[in-house]
Amino acid sequence: MNIGISIVTGFAVEQDDISKPYYAAKGFRTLSEPIVKEFIINNCAHIKKHYKPTTSLELAFNAFNAWSILGCEGKLHTDVTIKSLQSVLENEKSTTADVRYAAEILTLFKSPIPNPAKVGQLVQSILKEDDSLLSIGHAFHVASLLGNAGKFALDRVEDVVVQADEIDGKLLQWEGGLTTTSLIITGLLRLPGATPFTQAQADKLANYLLTRRTVQTPKGALSLLEAASALAESSVSPVAISAIGSSQVPIDKPHLRVQVSNIFGDPLKPVPDQVVAQSATRISDDVVVLAKQPLVAGNTPTEFILELRLEPGHYRIALNAGSHSAVFAARVLGPVQVNSLEIGLSDADGSSAPKLTQLSLPPTPDSRLQADSSQHLIVKFSSSRSVHQAFLRLYTAKKEIVFVAEQDSNKVYKVEVNLAAELTYTGSYDIELILGDSLITNPIRWRLGSIAVNLVTADPPSTTVVRGPKPEIQHLFRPAEKDHQKLSLYFSQL
Amino acid sequence: MWLVSDVSPYFDKMFSKLFGLFLIFAAITTSHAQGPTLVLLDNQVIKETHSIFFRSLQERGYTLTFKIADDSSLVLSKYGEYLYKNLIIFAPSAEEFGGSLNVETITEFIDDGGNVLVAGSSVTGDVLRELASECGFEVDEEGAYVIDHLNFDVTDEGQHTKLVIPSDNLINAPVIVGIKKRCGTLTVPRNCTAYSYNPDQPIKEYPHAVGKDTVLIAGLQARNNARVIFSGSLSFFSDEFFTSSVQRSHGGESVPVAGNQDVATAISQWVFKEHGQLRVKSVKHHKVGETKPPQAYTIMEDVVYTIEIDILDDGKWKPFNANDIQLEFVRIDPFIRTTLQRNLQENTKQSSKYRMCMEFISLK
Repeated sequence: MNIGISIVTGFAVEQDDISKPYYAAKGFRTLSEPIVKEFIINNCAHIKKHYKPTTSLELAFNAFNAWSILGCEGKLHTDVTIKSLQSVLENEKSTTADVRYAAEILTLFKSPIPNPAKVGQLVQSILKEDDSLLSIGHAFHVASLLGNAGKFALDRVEDVVVQADEIDGKLLQWEGGLTTTSLIITGLLRLPGATPFTQAQADKLANYLLTRRTVQTPKGALSLLEAASALAESSVSPVAISAIGSSQVPIDKPHLRVQVSNIFGDPLKPVPDQVVAQSATRISDDVVVLAKQPLVAGNTPTEFILELRLEPGHYRIALNAGSHSAVFAARVLGPVQVNSLEIGLSDADGSSAPKLTQLSLPPTPDSRLQADSSQHLIVKFSSSRSVHQAFLRLYTAKKEIVFVAEQDSNKVYKVEVNLAAELTYTGSYDIELILGDSLITNPIRWRLGSIAVNLVTADPPSTTVVRGPKPEIQHLFRPAEKDHQKLSLYFSQL
Repeated sequence: MWLVSDVSPYFDKMFSKLFGLFLIFAAITTSHAQGPTLVLLDNQVIKETHSIFFRSLQERGYTLTFKIADDSSLVLSKYGEYLYKNLIIFAPSAEEFGGSLNVETITEFIDDGGNVLVAGSSVTGDVLRELASECGFEVDEEGAYVIDHLNFDVTDEGQHTKLVIPSDNLINAPVIVGIKKRCGTLTVPRNCTAYSYNPDQPIKEYPHAVGKDTVLIAGLQARNNARVIFSGSLSFFSDEFFTSSVQRSHGGESVPVAGNQDVATAISQWVFKEHGQLRVKSVKHHKVGETKPPQAYTIMEDVVYTIEIDILDDGKWKPFNANDIQLEFVRIDPFIRTTLQRNLQENTKQSSKYRMCMEFISLK
């Protein structure tokens, strides 16, 4: 998983960066994964070496948090640190981010925030100057630490939520991307007394977060994890109902594995008592082929198995898990079988019946046909099911022509190639049959043999060079005329 | 073969201060491939889902300006000067662009030497179709995918449109697609079992592209050295495809990481002229045995023609090494075409001895 990789890279001790250990440690904690002891020792030493009281508040926040999560021994801060943090909470020039980090660090040290009401007012006055999304995002975090003095932030909730951008009706995010979106999600959900999102909004936020699974940096990975975890723990925890792995099953083992979980892949709380497939609809003709079929529990608490004893096809499945429902597409795949295959030639004018030869199945590529411009090549075959791709390919090393087989009313496929019209030059062509479809398990590619075609035009023109050097051209000088002296003499005598 | 004609603003300023008069000369000899680049997106999320690609451009020195494709403030030029050297359009579904951007202004941008990288999708909008046809490409109908039932990835979602393409299907041009490594590539061209059609509809009409005619990424270099790349797939450049493993469904060959990133990087280096930029350093010609060109050549004289060509490599001009440089003499049609021989003594020179002819024809 990418997130895992991004998070782990945070532990690789790097220059004087003291933020990455925090991203990694916090990420591991969010995922409830144990941290290897060696990482702890290295990173504690690294933070100790590079932490300076003069670093920015964000770095200090990262360093102290990492220190605490990793359980490093000793103390990184002094009483002076606490004093300077308290002064940030009174400074009118602080930003909401400064105030937040200072308040968070003090809370981490279990040191009370002096005069929360005043801090609340300070934040409000900063917001008057700077009401950017980032500034407000940090303000939510501060407010959640201020108890009753943080109530002012509740008035801002609605205003911020409406600022989220909806994309294609599926995703919801705030301008500024993952960092901003995560800051606001975690801030809003942390705020006591706020119910910022509807279920639909939470689902769209979750969809956005899932598009960011490929995030590359430890910082981004942590933002993603924190936001996802905040959503999963909220009252509007998005429910994921989806096929595990591939949503297609072969007809001989039609067990579709479905996962019903929260955004982290953990079981729902409470666990739905029954997961039911309300219906399965065949997409091609909109016929309901299955109704109210309960799913069997699978190997894990989040896995449920739906048995799809259906003909190969595309289906739309409506699933209910407790009060949650989802509609998704699934496919049943089956093999295709060619029942008969004939190849032969007919006269272009239709004067005599075409002579077709039945081929063995699967065919051996030894048909040798001889044809001229008055003939058509005919290939006929019937198969156990219709396929999307039924192509006949004639090819030489340099050229290929593909013909699409058409199905007649008896479901027999037929290709008729007017050799004189389609092939411009005499030559020997290999014949290949290609059958493919998104519903078949055994796409077919058979070489049937070759056809030597005799046409009026014998030689193909020298092929034009698309790339690479062109043929050289030598200029031929007109040879000198031999008898010109005699001739000129003759004429001068006249 | 093309000359460098890029004018870098930074060098302009410097030289105009110092030398004034030599400005034009200076501009010809300086080269500066990277530059301001406008990136048009369908939505902000693309910036994040394609972050590796954008970051690699930024790390290589491009200044990227991200805009939503229908932003009403879009402009390519101000007061007759272009604000950007390169344009990336990662907005497949745009039906039209905002501001002053449209097919004409973008075509004009290309005509004036701008480089353009465009990625489409199965829902490529009208404006990109028009732009494609202006550049001589044709995009299949809406809803059409390139399908290959025999060469798709195991993670395909069922329509067999996430294709596995062996790297030998890329054109043999390292300067464009990079040095070949053994790699699988998701979605590039030319498997002979591939075809382009709407996967949800039965094939009623002959597909617009079948077999090896199907091209997934196409590029061109215009006469004025502007370069254009059209990719049928925006996902080709995505973080997801860059980092995913590849396994062919039937046949089971697999590689741990798709070659998309290598190819995408190489393509971007080509389209924005980091790669494959040549310049002519000198041209000389004289009769055999002489050193200076005569007033005129006459029939049956042997002439030596020498040309020195450099290639831009990592920002430095280095001798260009190739064996397929040809010299043509054209009188309505080419009547002499000869391949130049590399002069090994003087390592940088390509030279060729050939017989030059003069015959006179009268044109009325």
